Amino acid sequence: MALIAGIDIGNATTEVALAELSAGATPVFVASSIVATTGIKGTAQNTQGVFQALTVALEAAGRSLAEIDLIRINEAAPVIGDVAMETISETIITESTMIGHNPTTPGGLGIGVGTTIEIGNLGRAVAGTPYIVVVDRSYTFDDVASRINAVNGAIDVTGAILQRDDGVLIHNRLARKIPIVDEVSLIEKVPIGMLAAIEVAEVGRIIETLANPYGIATLFDLTPDETASVVPMARSLVGNRSAVVIKTPKGDVTERRIPAGWLQFIGDRTAEVDVDRGAEEIMRVAGNVGPIRNVRGEPGTNVGGMMEKVRVVMGRLTDRDPAGIEVTDLLAVDTQVPQKVTGGLAGEFSLEAAVGIAAMVKADRLQMQRLAHDMTVQFGIPVEVGGVEADMAVRGALTTPGSSIPIAILDMGAGSTDACVLRGDGVAHSIHLAGAGNMVTLLIQSELGLESSEDAENVKRYPLARVETLFNIRHEDGTVEFFDNPLPPHVFARTVVLHPEGMIPLPLRQPLEVIRQVRIRAKQRVFVTNALRALCAVSPTSNVRDIAHVVLVGGSALDFEIPQLVTKALGEYRVVAGRANIRGTEGPRNAVATGLVLAWEEQR
Amino acid sequence: MDEKTLKRIIEDVMKEMAVVGAPAPTGKPAGRTDNATTSLVISECGPAERGTNPREVVIGLAAAFGGRQTQTIIGLPHDQVLREICAGIEEEGLNYRFIRSFRTADVGFIAHEAAKLSGSGIGIGIQSRGTTVIHQKDLPPLSNLELFSQSPLIDLETFRAIGKNAAKYAKGESPSPVPVRNDQMARPKYQAIAALLHIKETQLLDPNKKTQELRVEYR
Repeated sequence: MALIAGIDIGNATTEVALAELSAGATPVFVASSIVATTGIKGTAQNTQGVFQALTVALEAAGRSLAEIDLIRINEAAPVIGDVAMETISETIITESTMIGHNPTTPGGLGIGVGTTIEIGNLGRAVAGTPYIVVVDRSYTFDDVASRINAVNGAIDVTGAILQRDDGVLIHNRLARKIPIVDEVSLIEKVPIGMLAAIEVAEVGRIIETLANPYGIATLFDLTPDETASVVPMARSLVGNRSAVVIKTPKGDVTERRIPAGWLQFIGDRTAEVDVDRGAEEIMRVAGNVGPIRNVRGEPGTNVGGMMEKVRVVMGRLTDRDPAGIEVTDLLAVDTQVPQKVTGGLAGEFSLEAAVGIAAMVKADRLQMQRLAHDMTVQFGIPVEVGGVEADMAVRGALTTPGSSIPIAILDMGAGSTDACVLRGDGVAHSIHLAGAGNMVTLLIQSELGLESSEDAENVKRYPLARVETLFNIRHEDGTVEFFDNPLPPHVFARTVVLHPEGMIPLPLRQPLEVIRQVRIRAKQRVFVTNALRALCAVSPTSNVRDIAHVVLVGGSALDFEIPQLVTKALGEYRVVAGRANIRGTEGPRNAVATGLVLAWEEQR
Repeated sequence: MDEKTLKRIIEDVMKEMAVVGAPAPTGKPAGRTDNATTSLVISECGPAERGTNPREVVIGLAAAFGGRQTQTIIGLPHDQVLREICAGIEEEGLNYRFIRSFRTADVGFIAHEAAKLSGSGIGIGIQSRGTTVIHQKDLPPLSNLELFSQSPLIDLETFRAIGKNAAKYAKGESPSPVPVRNDQMARPKYQAIAALLHIKETQLLDPNKKTQELRVEYR
């Protein structure tokens, strides 16, 4: 009888399956464990995590380290992933032509057109000309209201632009109501003596005239040529509740594409693609070159720097020359990042196009051998490297009740998505693709503008809820849950993630539904895209339809919605997909570790 | 803050105590003040009722606010403090109402009392020296939504933001908490004055007097 430990060192977790094997009998699994991986997968730092995972499993089984006869680790951690984000568009406002921010409480309603004038100069204003007053923070709301009221009837004030957040206060004190836009932080840059238009919509509505090029043309009496030039301005005001447009000689709003450099894919053929063409084009080109052997970025550009960084990091971790490191897969995803508008007067943000890129590096095969050797010395137990990781995962996955050969597995981890098909004749075919859980976290973080990746990780992992009162929350599906004791005050009136250890409030102003959509879309764009890409590659006919059964394993298969999203997407190809249940007890985890033990049994 | 200033403050307080004698303000308007630096006139108009208007935020004043004391610990006139808090609430489109609590000088309990009387369930409690709390009726009294415990660091802008945030809570929005400055020197520098001002506040307490509805006028 022998005590064997199968150990799977993954990007995020290290898993152990501990089994007793006696000749002729089926292996008896006595314990399994899971801990966080220490260091990057495939490097010497992993040993600590392995030791910890072993200790946990041995404790559960009531055994000691000396009793183990053999440790088997997964072969040549083939993939190490890295993710990065590149912004490829920017919005620039020239000559302070518009204020398109969304103060929460503007004053008044409707449209006002007039010449801009500083409130201190209102005494010198000419009767008969409509004016829009510009007020900096040195004036109190009482003062502003009384100054405007004082000239009521003599001078036509049609609107106001304020630096302070006084819109409603001033509106409440005016004899004749006008639309007011407030919280314009760089008020000193508002051009004086220019024709301007102001629009404030009702609560819950959006502006209609200033967001329409013909609306602006009507107010400013523009020629057809001039109307064409205000289109970008009108477009950038869509969706706002209030706005100011100022007519200056050369004012404009432009959206510029930032040259981000090209990517070169080297496979059977070689092809280049400009990163600013977007993710779809990048992935189309990547799909055309056959199996990718290496990816290079244009030297001296952002994307070149990013690819270089991946190489340097991997080179350092694996003790190799960075120049020799080959990027064997790349996943690009289109995303939108909130960026501050250049030239904006009120700290306006605009959603800019960006491309998120996950790259994957093939590590040295000898690396795992070295690691096995180190561990043999440290633990005093023979450590050997088992078969290819995906093959091991298939063996493990086959312990799922109800599964049989032929089978395809989809291993969705943190750093990579792997697929493997085991055909009826015992031939296995596998592939490793860049982009998995970490990529989803990056997309969520950048699209929501979150500062900490911890918050993004929480948004990814747990469902959302809105705390409505201190005694009830509304879940993201609309159901209400009540509590007997009041909730802690820091979650009051906030959108929270339902972490198992308690609610965590999110520092976000977006409605819950928007956050939820961002989360689901991020998961779809990474996991659904990769599931189809991976299954296409391993399918005997290069067609997803020809794979009948797919079992989902890996850490991301534990997610509360990723398996459903993948199952639903694969359902369209008439593929039966579902979450694995390794050995009928472990769920989608421990597949590789279990496979490592089983493979040894078969070898004997 | 040197010994001389401290002495002067203590003398001031002693003088005032001698003039007032045993504090028994029951019956007469507690808000009367002879100090010319303020235009704030606060008068009581009967026991405070529980509000039903979901658009209101109730502001609870400590016993000496705008009466025996006229400015915060750093000299901000009480009328300006109230103006800023009210402006913050008004800017968000809500109403406000004032009450004064005589049973306690603890700002947490004053704020909780205000919250319980508020139609929206949101109340603000403020002590004469400037310490402020935003409270919600369902919370335990010693908890809070936002606490501004270092009175020497609260300026008029912060008071405006406090009013604004309280109104946002009342509307069910999720405001970012008002940024609170922190200064470890504030405690040693102001502790003695703060203690004295608190004593002055507690002298006006009357455990048998009901919380009063207030009329606040700026003259």
